[in-house]
Amino acid sequence: MQNAEMAHAAASGQALPFCILHSAFCLMSALDHHHGGVASPVHRMPAALKLAMALGIIVGTVTVPWHFRGWFVGVAVVLALAAVLSRISPLFLLKRLLLLSPFVLGVALVNAFQPAAQGSWLVVAVRSGLCLLTVILVSNTTPFSKLLRVLTRLRVPGLLITTIALLHRYLFVLVDEAERMRRARLSRTFTRRRRARWQALATVVGQLFVRASERAERIYDAMCARGWK
Amino acid sequence: MSAAIEVTDLRYRYHDGTEALRGVTLRVEPGECVALLGPNGSGKSTLLLHLNGLLPEETRPDGAVKVLGQPIVRQNLENIRRRVGLLFQDPDDQLFCPTVEEDVAFGPQQLGLDDAEIEARVRDALERVGLPGFGRRATHHLSHGEKRRVCLAGVLACEPSVLVLDEPTSDLDPRGRREFKALLRRIPATKLIATHDLELAVELCSRAIVLDHGLVVADGPTLDLLDDEPLMLEHGLERPHILRHRHPH
Repeated sequence: MQNAEMAHAAASGQALPFCILHSAFCLMSALDHHHGGVASPVHRMPAALKLAMALGIIVGTVTVPWHFRGWFVGVAVVLALAAVLSRISPLFLLKRLLLLSPFVLGVALVNAFQPAAQGSWLVVAVRSGLCLLTVILVSNTTPFSKLLRVLTRLRVPGLLITTIALLHRYLFVLVDEAERMRRARLSRTFTRRRRARWQALATVVGQLFVRASERAERIYDAMCARGWK
Repeated sequence: MSAAIEVTDLRYRYHDGTEALRGVTLRVEPGECVALLGPNGSGKSTLLLHLNGLLPEETRPDGAVKVLGQPIVRQNLENIRRRVGLLFQDPDDQLFCPTVEEDVAFGPQQLGLDDAEIEARVRDALERVGLPGFGRRATHHLSHGEKRRVCLAGVLACEPSVLVLDEPTSDLDPRGRREFKALLRRIPATKLIATHDLELAVELCSRAIVLDHGLVVADGPTLDLLDDEPLMLEHGLERPHILRHRHPH
């Protein structure tokens, strides 16, 4: 639905700034989980085990020298197996991968044009692709609260966990708020002048910041009201 | 016996210079259910924040606000917050945990209860608000009415003796409003309810206090105040329809 909305926005000649803002929010809301109601073997695996395996795969994939091809093939097979078992649609995984890869592809592209590093763009792309897929699989088969519980058991400082939990919780509120502001702006945007639209964007972003910081104060009050020390 | 809430000549000015409270004096007895009425910006929310020691930012040792006989000063802030449950206007401000059960458990955890007791309280609180089995749901995927009720469960789990509610029925559909009112009626705690829902005031509260421009402008039996049309209109309120259709015989 979001994609359709985006396409519609682009087709109706909506200005670039709002398209950028909108894609940023789509990206953020895409972080929401996809595991609603599914109970595959991968979903049922203990979160701690999944997290440990993911960490192992990522550290290995980043550090193992490129000529140990067996490792990369092995990881790819494991991930493919997990993807099939998790019953998440391949198209969904591919979309997520593309959504997250522009940064990596950028680096790979720069590498591709360096004469000294023949073929290293492939190495970068494979390594990062495998890492991203691992993260996508873990995060889409494990509820966020379970991941946090694993971190708590690992004695990660409480303040850090609270911060991550709040970040995750309010990301969605912020996205909704930005979306409402965007719609309200659009309903009163009559000009085709680009400059005016960029200015409008600046106002929305500024306003969002102010609202977020005021909300943060209210949340802190609400936490204090229930005995936060 | 000391009053549940006792406010004496309370004044408060926000940083930007807005004078929100200009000498509020009121008293709520234990077990009472009182409606706090008044137009937007009359100081209702500001007053409610004071009852939990959230305002002023620098606690003053002046004792203008006393809850259950104790002045709100820094030394007994924890004790006050444990006994006064505050329901915020925007449920998204109040539900700050990823899942419902974690959010309801937040207060009891702060009280230092053991896990079994916390679990029992969470289950009990969710049942009381009519959401049994909602524990594992993500807080950001609830409907507005469900969020409200989870907020209330989070407050009830702390077992407060005074309940302070900021517009508990705003943004709820008629059924949600009706159910929420029924829920509030079943809670035995002393209640102070800031609201624009005049029917709620009539149905739940025997007494009402009208606040305007940071001052108490009327205080008395709910029906008498709401029936006084000039008073209602002067302070941005109106005589509710249910009173228009009531016959004196």
